[in-house]
Amino acid sequence: MKKSSIFGIIIIAIAIAVVISTYSNSSTYGTFTEAIETKAELHVVGNLNKGKQLYYDATKDANYFSFFMKDKDGKECKVIFTGTKPQDFERSEQLVLTGKMIGNEFHASKILMKCPSKYNDNKLNVAEATPKTANL
Amino acid sequence: MDIAFKNEHLFVGDLGRLFVALAFGGALISFISYFFATREQSLSKDTSWHKMARIGFWLNSLAILGMGACLFVILYNHYFEYHYAWSYTSRSLPVYYIISGFWNGQEGGFLLWMFWQAVLGNILIRKAGSWEKPVMTVVALSQAILGTMVLGIDIFTARIGSSPFLLLRDAMEGPIFQNPDYLSFIKDGRGMNPTLQNYWMVIHPPTLFLGFASVVVPFAYAIAGLWQKRYKDWVKPALSYGLFSAMILGTGIIMGAFWAYESLNFGGFWAWDPVENASVFPWLTLVAALHVMIVFKNTGHSYFTATFLVLISFVLVWYSSFLARSGILGESSVHSFTDLGMFWHLVLGILIFLILSVYLLVARWKELPITKKDEDTYSREFWMFVGAVFLALACFQLIIFTSKPVWNAMFGTKMGPSEVKEYNIIQASFAVVIMLLTGFTQFLKYKKTDSSRFFITTIVYLVFAGAVTALLAYITGAYKLHTVYILVMLTSIYGVVANGKILADSLKGKFKLAGSAVAHIGFGLMLVGAVISAGTSKVVSENNTGEQYSAEFAKEENPRENVLLYRNEPIEMNGYSVTFLGDTLEGAQHLFNIAYERKDASGKLTEKFLLRPNVIQSQDGMSSSPDTKHYLTYDLYTHVTMTNVLQTKPEEEKAGHDAEQDDDKNYDAPMTHEVVVGDTIRYRDGIIVFKGVNKQAKLQNIPLTDKDVAVGAQLEVITHGRTINAEPIYMIKNGSAFDFPKKLEDAGLKLRISKILPEKQKFEITVYQQPESKKQFIVLKAIQFPYINFLWAGVVIMVIGFLMSIFRRNKELKTT
Repeated sequence: MKKSSIFGIIIIAIAIAVVISTYSNSSTYGTFTEAIETKAELHVVGNLNKGKQLYYDATKDANYFSFFMKDKDGKECKVIFTGTKPQDFERSEQLVLTGKMIGNEFHASKILMKCPSKYNDNKLNVAEATPKTANL
Repeated sequence: MDIAFKNEHLFVGDLGRLFVALAFGGALISFISYFFATREQSLSKDTSWHKMARIGFWLNSLAILGMGACLFVILYNHYFEYHYAWSYTSRSLPVYYIISGFWNGQEGGFLLWMFWQAVLGNILIRKAGSWEKPVMTVVALSQAILGTMVLGIDIFTARIGSSPFLLLRDAMEGPIFQNPDYLSFIKDGRGMNPTLQNYWMVIHPPTLFLGFASVVVPFAYAIAGLWQKRYKDWVKPALSYGLFSAMILGTGIIMGAFWAYESLNFGGFWAWDPVENASVFPWLTLVAALHVMIVFKNTGHSYFTATFLVLISFVLVWYSSFLARSGILGESSVHSFTDLGMFWHLVLGILIFLILSVYLLVARWKELPITKKDEDTYSREFWMFVGAVFLALACFQLIIFTSKPVWNAMFGTKMGPSEVKEYNIIQASFAVVIMLLTGFTQFLKYKKTDSSRFFITTIVYLVFAGAVTALLAYITGAYKLHTVYILVMLTSIYGVVANGKILADSLKGKFKLAGSAVAHIGFGLMLVGAVISAGTSKVVSENNTGEQYSAEFAKEENPRENVLLYRNEPIEMNGYSVTFLGDTLEGAQHLFNIAYERKDASGKLTEKFLLRPNVIQSQDGMSSSPDTKHYLTYDLYTHVTMTNVLQTKPEEEKAGHDAEQDDDKNYDAPMTHEVVVGDTIRYRDGIIVFKGVNKQAKLQNIPLTDKDVAVGAQLEVITHGRTINAEPIYMIKNGSAFDFPKKLEDAGLKLRISKILPEKQKFEITVYQQPESKKQFIVLKAIQFPYINFLWAGVVIMVIGFLMSIFRRNKELKTT
């Protein structure tokens, strides 16, 4: 066999290995229910429950932050994050957590938030603005 | 319904839109004319197509300058009636950030790209000679396609492109726009995202976009080579431009990494974020292409691979803009743009160049100078080729992994984004192979090499590199890392020493090879620096000061990386005594002064410096950027992750107006102590010594008569190694008793003489202390990055290597 064909086969083998490893290696998006079932690391998308308490007290423990999130199915779960409360957390519209279930709590190792100001914002908030006349 | 809006500056926007149209029109004319000029080249002496093509391109260039000028006027004068100015700038923004506001939005990014492409086009018109017509056809086509991206016109129901001159009232909906005088309500723009307010953001985007834009030149040469059937000639000129492109793109990417390191708080220079990865795709394939082009030029082998890699590089430039701009990354990236309704427009951009490339390759397939003969195993060209293929494979892996959101959209899967750890391990494995090849290929010659001599040299250098690696790994502590990272170090050092030999030889005469040797050395050092620095970086702000490697390398991820610092209360951290001194406002910056002190065994101060991380409030958000102390062998990086200073500020001001008893609410329940002179009162944060009584205490504004008495208690507060004096006063005036407490804001204390007990010769002192949560504090994270200077030095050396190579190739171009 020609040397270049052997080399070609090796390259194709590596390429296939890469493609397969994308699928097998990667954690998936899921819900809290799935997180309870799998126990494996998962990405959960959901919204912050702004009605419930966000607990962060730097004076007690600078590395403990807990809150409640509702996933897309509406299931609510307590989330614990080892770290400081991310800036503007309350304003977030959507959260993507990476982590796993430990007991009844979801332990997040990473939090990605979407804030309205950074993204599409088609509403203009001007406090003083109250249009008086609109008939021209 | 027509409303006559007041105070709008519509002229500059109209002018801008005119320039947008002119730029697109000019590019289109130029493309069509160049196309016909190329086809008619040999048939007639008529040069009118050619003339028209050039005029079209010049028109396009001028219009782009005009667009830039109009946008600048809008931003500089704060015309918030324009959506772009309102979205990205504010009145308080300093002028140099107005410049970075220019490329804050996607439209500005396209404008920058068009600008550089116009500059390159004008250089090509002057320099390309016989290549001008076909090459410029491709450049003008690219320019025309970019032109559509900023058109912002509505055709039927679809909007084509997004214009930077869009008016706020057209971009948004709101009852406010019913008011003709709406502008008087819009006092200020939304301001710039605080993380972008950094000097790196002034130069990183232009550099990166020059890199992206310049990939079009080798691409255009490759296309022109196929089109005009000049299969061999295109490589030489394309090589110089390709080197330039790889140099600038590489610099731009690293500037981005430096920006991330200096001003983002993700604690490092690289995070495998999809947008970062996307900028690396074309760089990897371009570098691979350069190697194969040299192989082809020297031996005639690998024509197809060289062409393919050049073509795919430009397609990947478009793919990378698609990833960053189409909004497809959505949840997986921190810094992607949202969809401006240009998803399919961007897809179309990729497809045009992809189809063009595939079409020409297929149409010319039979004529391509593909060699049937195998390369010799002991030849440089064979292993350079292998190296290039591995670079392309590394790129392939990055593309497949980064594009997970794309696969999810296409196949309906639910794959989460890849972890940093996965990228690190896989890319490190590729790096091992690539650096090994970078090393031993240097000992091979083109065509054929004596194999026994080759093996001896290779092994001698490998042993030497092994010894250096062992030493370095021992010193830096990198030996604790995963095996693959140590292999990266070993092979990188091997690459450095092997190329060092070439460099030494070149100084003796073969100066031609110096450029590549220097670039390879730089790349090797960069990898060594990256592995050591990222691998052994240590969070020093931990409560339990054990050896802990950064999260991405740690086996168990549960680092408690933040520490709480009360104002003026020093803590010990990694041999430093660290104190939060307070905060200062400097313009738009809110700096937190953190003093680091190091003492030797005898307690003598050996080192003292101040780090001032910044916390900016803008767009209703808070953003924190780190400050770094640079040492030769490591960096100490500090940033504020959380603070109560910003929230407590207004409260303190309020407290001044409130009644006295309200003020007491700011403190814990008071403690009373009956003391005589010389007594010591203990409290939570230290001690208070009653030094003496001042019988002639005076108070401002209150004149005392003979019958009145005012007594001061001289107190010395010793807290956290500092001594503060305080003198609360007790007064009897006209038969009534008054007391004047003394507040010590710094120590969070209020001291008061609540009673004097003459019969016991005692004073009753009441101590109020602020509760822990009311005291000003910051939560801080500090990371030590060892040997990061290897990384930066490697980059600089690599750029120098590229420059040397460009000079060499340009010289060759002139002599032949």
